[in-house]
Amino acid sequence: MPPDNGAYMIAAYIVGGVIVLAYAVYLFVMARKLK
Amino acid sequence: MTDRTNALRLLSRGQILTVIGLIGFGFLIVRAMAFTPLEVRQGAAQKIMYVHVPSAWAAGVAIMLTGLFSAAYLWLRDERADRAAAASAEVGILFGTVMLGTGPFWAKPVWGAWWVWDARLTSTLFLYLLFVGYLILRDSTEDRGMRARFSAVVGLMGLVLVPFVHLTVYMFRTQHPEPVVLKPEGVTMPGSMLATLLVGVVVFTVLYFGFVMQRYGLTVLDDLRQEEMYDAA
Repeated sequence: MPPDNGAYMIAAYIVGGVIVLAYAVYLFVMARKLK
Repeated sequence: MTDRTNALRLLSRGQILTVIGLIGFGFLIVRAMAFTPLEVRQGAAQKIMYVHVPSAWAAGVAIMLTGLFSAAYLWLRDERADRAAAASAEVGILFGTVMLGTGPFWAKPVWGAWWVWDARLTSTLFLYLLFVGYLILRDSTEDRGMRARFSAVVGLMGLVLVPFVHLTVYMFRTQHPEPVVLKPEGVTMPGSMLATLLVGVVVFTVLYFGFVMQRYGLTVLDDLRQEEMYDAA
């Protein structure tokens, strides 16, 4: 029986997703300012 | 064609690539969670690998290309190489942050600790901080030529460190596991897990190029705006 540690996976995916998404939004905002 | 037109075109293409990458990221998460088997000993925490390893890959690519662009700048004194190195370094820090941010969530349930000061983790952190220093150096140097020369030297140092960081798991006794794909004996991983990992590598590579193209275009636009302001003053 595998250990029950799915919460760590969810937390890591949230951290990774938020960092990538935040940078993507930052670039889109910068692009709107400079265009 | 003007610099502005070229920059806008690059920015637009980068945005398209980024959107494709973000959709791919969503697909990767769904595939990893619902369509990739559980590893028996580590449980669901092992699935952090599908984000952690591709982000490490993208950070490695970013740092190596920063080094190569830096060498190109020192050789040719071409401003485009300096801009490309700076864009790649910033995106490298982004993926380094994802790597360092997701790793502890895998380490805690498997190693029993959020962080250990073994050779792989410590050398990775040093390389990450070197690139944070790279960006601080760029921000704190006004003269463009001096900024490009100084940061190119730091970028080259990063390139030299990448192979060392990769080999630490062989050179030292480390808590961090050895690679499961990039190793001399070949791949030691079930096909379905390997497929998800490769999806992750493709997605993060697409995101890398999307982000770098956008960052490069934005830097050109910002430089042009500053030149216009300088001319008007």
